[in-house]
Amino acid sequence: MKTLNILSKLTIVFLFIASINACTTDDLDPSTEQNKPVEGGIESDANLYGIVKGAYSRMTASGYYGRDYIINNEVRTDNCFSNGNSGRFTTQAGFNYSENTGFFWDEAYRVIASANIVIGVNPDEMTGDVDYIKHMQGQAYVLRGLVHFDLLKQYGQQNAGGSLGVPYVTEFKGEDLTPARKSVDECVTMILADLEMGYSMLNEDYDDSPEFITKYAPKAIASSVGVYFKKWDVAKSAAEVVINSGMYSIIPADQYVSSFGVDASPNSIFELAFSSTDNVGINGLAYIYRTTGGGSYGDVQVLDEVADLYDEGDVREGILGMEDDMLRNIGKYPDNQGYDNVGVIRYEEVLLNYAEAQLETGGDALTPLNQLAAERGIDAYTEVTKDILIDERRKELIFEGRRYDDLVRTGSDIEKISLQQNFAATIPYGDYRMAWPIPKAEMDANSNMVQNDNY
Amino acid sequence: MLLGIALFGVLMVEAQVKSITGTVTSAEDGTGIPGVSVSVKGTTIGTVTNIDGQYQLDVPNDAQTIVFSFVGMKTIEAPISGSVVNATMEADYVGVEEVIVTGYTSHRKSEVTGSSVQVSGESLANMPVASVDQALQGKIAGVNISSSSGTPGSVQNIRIRGRSSITAGNEPLYVIDGVPMVNGNSSATSSGSNLSMLATLNSNDIESITVLKDASATAAYGARGANGVIVITTKSGKSGKADINFSATYGFSNDAIDGPGVLTGAEREMLAYEALYNTYGEDYGLASPAEAGEWYAETGYFGNDYVLWNEAGRPETDWADLITNENAPMQEYNLSASGGTEGVSYYTSVGYMSQEATVIGSEFERFSGALTLDVDLSPSLKFTTRNNASHSYQDGLLETSAYFSSPRASKFFMPSIDQAYNEDGSINYETTTLPNPLWIAQEDIDDSKLTRILSNNSLTWDTPVENLSFTTRVNIDYRVYNYKRYRNPLRGDGDGATNGYGWQAHRNSVNYVFQNMVNYSLSLDGGHNFDFSAIQEYQENRRYYLDADADNFTDVGLTNLSSAGNPTSAFSEYTDWKVASYLGMVHYSYDGRYVVDLTYRKEGSSRFAPDNRWGDFWAVGGAWNMQRENFMSNVEVVDMLKLRASYGLTGNANISLNQYQALLSYDSDYAGEGASYPGTFGNNDLSWETSKTLDIGVDFGLFQNRISGSIGYYNRETQDMLLDVPLSLTTGFNEQTRNIGRMENKGYEVELNVDIIRSRDMNLSIGGNLGTNKNEVLELATDLNGEEINITSTIDRVETGHPVYGWYMPTWAGVDPDTGDELWYINPEESDETSSNFNDAEQVWQGGSAIPKVTAGLNLHFDFKGAFIDVNGYYAGGHKVYEGWHRYTHGTDVFSVFYYQGVDLLLDRWQQPGDVTRYGKFEYTGRPWQRHSKFLYDGDYFRLKDVTVGYDFNPSLVDAIGLGGVRVFVRGTNLYTWVKDDYLKYDPEVGPSGETGLATPPVKSFIFGVNVKF
Repeated sequence: MKTLNILSKLTIVFLFIASINACTTDDLDPSTEQNKPVEGGIESDANLYGIVKGAYSRMTASGYYGRDYIINNEVRTDNCFSNGNSGRFTTQAGFNYSENTGFFWDEAYRVIASANIVIGVNPDEMTGDVDYIKHMQGQAYVLRGLVHFDLLKQYGQQNAGGSLGVPYVTEFKGEDLTPARKSVDECVTMILADLEMGYSMLNEDYDDSPEFITKYAPKAIASSVGVYFKKWDVAKSAAEVVINSGMYSIIPADQYVSSFGVDASPNSIFELAFSSTDNVGINGLAYIYRTTGGGSYGDVQVLDEVADLYDEGDVREGILGMEDDMLRNIGKYPDNQGYDNVGVIRYEEVLLNYAEAQLETGGDALTPLNQLAAERGIDAYTEVTKDILIDERRKELIFEGRRYDDLVRTGSDIEKISLQQNFAATIPYGDYRMAWPIPKAEMDANSNMVQNDNY
Repeated sequence: MLLGIALFGVLMVEAQVKSITGTVTSAEDGTGIPGVSVSVKGTTIGTVTNIDGQYQLDVPNDAQTIVFSFVGMKTIEAPISGSVVNATMEADYVGVEEVIVTGYTSHRKSEVTGSSVQVSGESLANMPVASVDQALQGKIAGVNISSSSGTPGSVQNIRIRGRSSITAGNEPLYVIDGVPMVNGNSSATSSGSNLSMLATLNSNDIESITVLKDASATAAYGARGANGVIVITTKSGKSGKADINFSATYGFSNDAIDGPGVLTGAEREMLAYEALYNTYGEDYGLASPAEAGEWYAETGYFGNDYVLWNEAGRPETDWADLITNENAPMQEYNLSASGGTEGVSYYTSVGYMSQEATVIGSEFERFSGALTLDVDLSPSLKFTTRNNASHSYQDGLLETSAYFSSPRASKFFMPSIDQAYNEDGSINYETTTLPNPLWIAQEDIDDSKLTRILSNNSLTWDTPVENLSFTTRVNIDYRVYNYKRYRNPLRGDGDGATNGYGWQAHRNSVNYVFQNMVNYSLSLDGGHNFDFSAIQEYQENRRYYLDADADNFTDVGLTNLSSAGNPTSAFSEYTDWKVASYLGMVHYSYDGRYVVDLTYRKEGSSRFAPDNRWGDFWAVGGAWNMQRENFMSNVEVVDMLKLRASYGLTGNANISLNQYQALLSYDSDYAGEGASYPGTFGNNDLSWETSKTLDIGVDFGLFQNRISGSIGYYNRETQDMLLDVPLSLTTGFNEQTRNIGRMENKGYEVELNVDIIRSRDMNLSIGGNLGTNKNEVLELATDLNGEEINITSTIDRVETGHPVYGWYMPTWAGVDPDTGDELWYINPEESDETSSNFNDAEQVWQGGSAIPKVTAGLNLHFDFKGAFIDVNGYYAGGHKVYEGWHRYTHGTDVFSVFYYQGVDLLLDRWQQPGDVTRYGKFEYTGRPWQRHSKFLYDGDYFRLKDVTVGYDFNPSLVDAIGLGGVRVFVRGTNLYTWVKDDYLKYDPEVGPSGETGLATPPVKSFIFGVNVKF
């Protein structure tokens, strides 16, 4: 009897242990302490603000404004070349790229995906300030237009003898996950439409710092779109809105060099935030522009001819400096650890856009040009030509990733002539390499995609 | 409590006893046999015979029978008829049938229906390796092992029967004492040395390792068994008096392969001037490379490194030599004891191991302890606890890439004209092109510390119903991991404005397993035997991680974050995963002739969406022991002839966590605030990847098992592959994990062992194994237009009809003798046309992949009167290996002669028209990455893995000084390596990617050891 008692107790113990173990499907749900589901994760203005910041953060990636996008537009020009110190950017500088080199295609479309999440929400179904939500959607429209513009400039066939642009993505996880390329013209129209939509939705009351898209940023960007695609009226009217806003001013001569080490200067319309806790470190701009005594990559060196670019007294020459025998960009992105903000568009560029649009439409180009000259320690111009304007842009915006665009949009051949250049030849305007190859990964995954010629 | 039981047990045997004596002799020659186990049947009372074969034993008055047993002899039972019981033992070449441990259960070899190979702990102990899986190389057909690095403690890459998955893991499941374990790399850094979790185990505590390869064997772990299962069984106590063992080994190691040689300073200078001459000779009127040298010094445009070097008297620096820790010492000590008394048996050990790496500034150290107790709580209740604890310390290095501060990289990247030391003898940390590795090794820190506690506790109840037992088991695997990185402020990754950099990581992981098991055996009349098992299991893994970094350190020599002025990041996260399973197994044996295994496992995993969470896995296995058939009874040469076949469905869920959910990630920030972004695409349809494996084979033993082995065939088809299907990047994602595609692995496996001489004093045996593997991708995902989505890199590709990640790159066509340009075939499949423009050359299939088509092992054993020699070799072949970093080290441009350092093969370069060379002309340029077939080599190699020569001292001698046994030995590992391809200069043991890296190569070592039994 006693034995039986013990046995039954043991049986109960075993059954008890077994029952603890018994497991249902729900018991197997994993913890997601670091994540929230997309569905149900964006229900308030605060949630949406996180996504908006995520979009900006994606623009700071090393493959995009963090480094590559800017460097690729310098290293393929008469400003800079790659000395190959760590083997970086020699491929791009030598126009040797192939479809295995990804460039910034993926980073750019990631920003667009984030922007499309923001655009896709219905403000009326969210909790929080509806006006603020619409303001953030305005930012997202502007980002979507800007990033497609960047993509179009690099992958579109406008300078390579074709008419194909890039896929214009307007939905997050939408119906068409393997989109085809739109034409260049369609893209331009959609970019301008996005910028205009953004402008209409942005609300000055919510503008904070130029680290975010503010009211006049879409107009500043639209002026660049207009200039690039020779839509001079668009460029002119957009630039006028920015100039007339009175929100921005030319950085004064005595602050020109130092302004690149300062965040949110009065000339800044839109810049991306980098800091001591949020930067791309060794994959950043400073690390590639300088060797700082051997500790960093320093592949991207300045062509010697740039030393002769500036007239006597031009404060912008202060950007240049030497490391041993090598001419270097010392003044832009000056912090060697990459803590400086990276500008996307500033007032001076809008002013130059305006001058060029005036010139092309028979207006007064001299006034805006001399407004700039007055703050750069150089003599006032007495006449304006296209060459003067393009040259002035080079001097003002050097190392900021604008030179390549200016060369190709004016139909220039690209000369690579330095003794130490890896590539010593002329890339004639219209060469297939003036459109980047669509990345192999995209071609593999998307059979609707058409590759650019000759890749 | 346990002590109480133990004492109780001791008291129990203090009963009425009588003394008996006797002598055990050999039937062969009539001499006494020492070391025979003598015990009272049904009890743990026992002893062993002395050197003359005599014994004396106190037995209870009611004892009936004495059992004599000895390895290799037939066991004898003799009735106790008086005070003297003698025995004559004869050799038993057939009867010692191996018991194969398959995880949850174990069966005699003849009853095993699957393809499982067991390696005894004896052959694993005393291997001079930190992680025990290293010792398996070459021992089992179809198992391919390559070490990720020769740094002690590093992870081994194991592939059983090829590669079954593209995205999900390909590593086998590890089971320790019946419990599935997490395994792999424990390190928090991807740039530094990795640390294998298996390195926490002391190989001397391991009783056996079984590798389960086919569906029948792995089905019990079916849901995670698709890549094979490695079952580790730790030692447990044996009844009888304490068996105390002490072993000590001491040795040293060096790189198994020296690797490519590099240019001397003089050669580098010569080639540099040649590059200038070839590039600028015409434009600047330079008549010769020598003139180009003068021009170099005059212009100063290309730097003045060589000018300074010549002024300094052309001093050569051998960086390879400087970074080498020659004859790196290693030592290991183990003390273990096992034994038992009535109702209690134990195994306990302590171990210490330390091993320096063959590169400066790196070492591994481990302290370990083990305790296993088996306690009979009552006649029907048995409690078992197996506990292992260890602390491992790895002083690692930067080694996974060509980091400027990696000592392994400096051999190939630091110019031989740079000086390691200043004139006053101090380390030159300032002026070297790259950070001086001597300085880095002295100043920088990369330390991993891993403490692991494994506790496996079970309670077994033999119920009153005959042959019905319950077992419940709780296993806890607790790991605490710390990582510390520090970069000095003077030179290297912490110099300049960083002013010293520190990063520390801390991780707590715990893995719980609860098991409930019911076993029931049933024997019916007529020889029908059934074993039924039902098992319920729940496993949960919890992982907590914290790290922080900072820069701007206050002062040199202060390396903790408290001394840093500028904290730059803080990060923590918690993740978990859970697995629940139900398992049923039926083992049926009819008369020992026919064996059938049925296995079914239902498993649910937290990695999948609720609707697809559960998977069903099963296997059927059968074996026919033909030698037991009547018609074979006259065929005396056949001792064993077993046909076996199995078929089943196994699974693999080894993908990243939370892939099924479309999730927002929050580990981003912008403008000083947190930010979020869509991190995973999500896929609610995600479920198990499965493999269908067919396995057939014959196991045989002939001529009293003098010839034994097996021959088998396998075919494993993976389906519904967990595949990261590339998405159009316009979606904002790179890929989505989906269940799609099929892949096949098939091949033959042969194991053979021949005992050529077999006697008490002399034995000679030779054995080998061979496995083949043919991999083919059968189906992949398609896009909306029905076109297959391939995965292509610059050197390999995944496409149906080819091996997974088959080599795929432009084909090199040699150097143009007229111009000195490197040439490539534009499309070798269509024409012989070549081009000197790399971008014109199409990528084409090069044949083969990184996975060997054939792996083989060879072993030889010889002993004579106590002296013995064991030899073990390993061969892998039929695969190809790609040389990484060739852009720099093989570049006929600025990389090899102006910026970094080139290999000495570069001397075979084109200089003038007519030269037929391997390398084109040197030019002053920096060429982009051009990956092509010149750097793709045959991977075939043979390696003499292990040679051990030793001597067991004569028992009479040892007995005289009061010891149970003494063995001394010398062991050499990786003593010799043969490589088929002359251009493959790096170690041929390359990881699954097939690309050579700059990690520490496997080591060649010599150790001296002594084992003492008390």
